[in-house]
Amino acid sequence: MKGRYEDENLTWIPILIVGIFLLPFVLKGLTYSYKYYLFVLNMAGIYIILTVGLDLLSGYTGLISLGHAAFLAIGSYTSAILVDQVGIPFVFSLFISPLIVGLFGFIIGFPALRITGMYLGLTTMGFGFIVKRLIIAFREWTQGAGGLEVSFPIIFGYTFKSDWDNYFLISAFAILAVVVSRRIGKSKIGRAFMAIRDSEQAAEASGVNLAKYKMLAFFISGIFAGLAGVLFAHTSHFISTDHFDILLSIYFIIMVLVGGASSIYGAVLGTLFIVLLDYLFVPEMKGWIQEFLNIEGGDIQSLLFGLIMFLFIIFQPTGLYGMWLKMRIYWKLFPFNPKKKFI
Amino acid sequence: MADLCINNIRMQFSGVVALDDVSLSVKESEIFSLIGSNGSGKSTLFNCINGFNRPQKGSILFGNDDLLKKKPHEIIRCGISRTFQNVQNIPFMTVLDNILLGAHHRIDPESTVKRWLSQKQRAAEEVMGLEILDFLGIVNYEQKYMAGQPYGIQKLTEIARALVGKPKLILMDEPAAGMNDQETYEIAKIISEIRDELGITVLVVEHDMSLVMSISDRVCVLDSGEVLALGKPEQVKTHPDVIRAFLGDSADA
Ligand SMILES: Nc1ncnc2c1ncn2[C@@H]1O[C@H](COP(=O)(O)OP(=O)(O)OP(=O)(O)O)[C@@H](O)[C@H]1O
Ligand SMILES: [Mg+2]
Repeated sequence: MKGRYEDENLTWIPILIVGIFLLPFVLKGLTYSYKYYLFVLNMAGIYIILTVGLDLLSGYTGLISLGHAAFLAIGSYTSAILVDQVGIPFVFSLFISPLIVGLFGFIIGFPALRITGMYLGLTTMGFGFIVKRLIIAFREWTQGAGGLEVSFPIIFGYTFKSDWDNYFLISAFAILAVVVSRRIGKSKIGRAFMAIRDSEQAAEASGVNLAKYKMLAFFISGIFAGLAGVLFAHTSHFISTDHFDILLSIYFIIMVLVGGASSIYGAVLGTLFIVLLDYLFVPEMKGWIQEFLNIEGGDIQSLLFGLIMFLFIIFQPTGLYGMWLKMRIYWKLFPFNPKKKFI
Repeated sequence: MADLCINNIRMQFSGVVALDDVSLSVKESEIFSLIGSNGSGKSTLFNCINGFNRPQKGSILFGNDDLLKKKPHEIIRCGISRTFQNVQNIPFMTVLDNILLGAHHRIDPESTVKRWLSQKQRAAEEVMGLEILDFLGIVNYEQKYMAGQPYGIQKLTEIARALVGKPKLILMDEPAAGMNDQETYEIAKIISEIRDELGITVLVVEHDMSLVMSISDRVCVLDSGEVLALGKPEQVKTHPDVIRAFLGDSADA
């Protein structure tokens, strides 16, 4: 018997990858402020590496983490210390630091064996506070609250100095992260994760060791966050505890939710959406929104994100990715059966 | 010999005695039905077999394995899989993925890694599920999302998930509940085929008497956690206690 479960048409993937690597040249041709756009895209790329891992944990396995900014922080500080103070080459840190963060994830996974839902969210949030305190406490290595300067990424003698250079480094790892997380999501590991989320009984009766797979979800998610942290530290040259605020953890969850939980492409879309909104749209529209609402100052960003989250949960629980699938089905069937709904 | 031997099981939930000194044995390649009124402890017995409930007393042996020493996720490795009374599927996974969940223990980590690298391995995995879909006659559903599938398909998917693990014994908790006559007939046929063609022992809980009587080799009647009668279908049907407990009750009602 042959596998009949046809793969999606995959030709768009190489095209997209080429497009990603051509994008900086296009931007450069189009606008003088391309450097800022590259900076924003680099931010998005780093966050994508983190959110696809968070999606495996919170979207697939249903274990809510509000501590992912802390994982990002541990990755950043670990790599900064290993490379600049211990003297390990950046290339090695790219492997070691994520593993160390993975181990932290593993440790945080222990309480997840007993608690779930909002309580787990609060526990991981507490972890975030603790990490921030610890970073300040270990000031011999971390320079405390003052922040830490970090060296440039060097790979095989090449130093990545500008946002232009970093774009290629970050894109490569972001693509890798998306491919790997999708493979995990579509394998028996991903099935086990989703089964844990939706029916622990079905999972166990099918032979899934709940404890093992919950820990694995935290471990894998930690590795992704750690990799994001390494890239964040070395491409932004400066890290401080302010970069890893609790609010960032909440934004990460929003990115996953807005994209559509338990879809890797969803996490990518959600992250791009929120980052572009945050860095491009909000600064542009801030004055206008303030005038419209007749307020001075005010945290427009939080207001907007809160609203978006609210609207998505109510009107589009399958997220941006669900929206895209719906659209695709609509056009496929057009003009027949245009009311047919996805799920 | 892979017989299931349940000896003097007592399962008590703070106050409620769900199973009281229950003993029965299911022989290899037999279709064994468990019947009884609501709350008589049928599902609890399943939960004891597959480790969800821990009986206070007694033993459950399957072949050489002492099931009470196993964790729930190890039971399938002993050769026992199950379906649930209220369907337990994963809505945002395709029907095929739901089925392949049941093959979890058959897919070793090594092939998972290989599968990441090659399409061939992936196909091999899918074939496990497709064979079962073929067997159950629900091909063409594999790529559909579980959410929104008709109830019959959801029930069958659960059976498929239990079968794809290649068990020696399958526990089915009310496979025909909520089905119409046609579907119930189909289920009866499937249960017989599971035993005849796949050689799997079947322990089934069912309320539909005509189904039970037509396919079972032996029937056990549970009443308030105790074995009321056990034997061939025709013996059980005419057993005075059974008639008193069931026909008497329904005559009153
Ligand atoms: N986890 C539990 N905690 C407390 N009581 C329980 C639990 N599980 C089952 N019981 C009780 O044990 C008794 C037997 O329940 P069980 O579900 O086994 O019945 P059943 O024979 O499957 O009935 P039905 O035909 O309704 O499915 C019931 O009184 C039930 O309330
Ligand atoms: Mg029951």
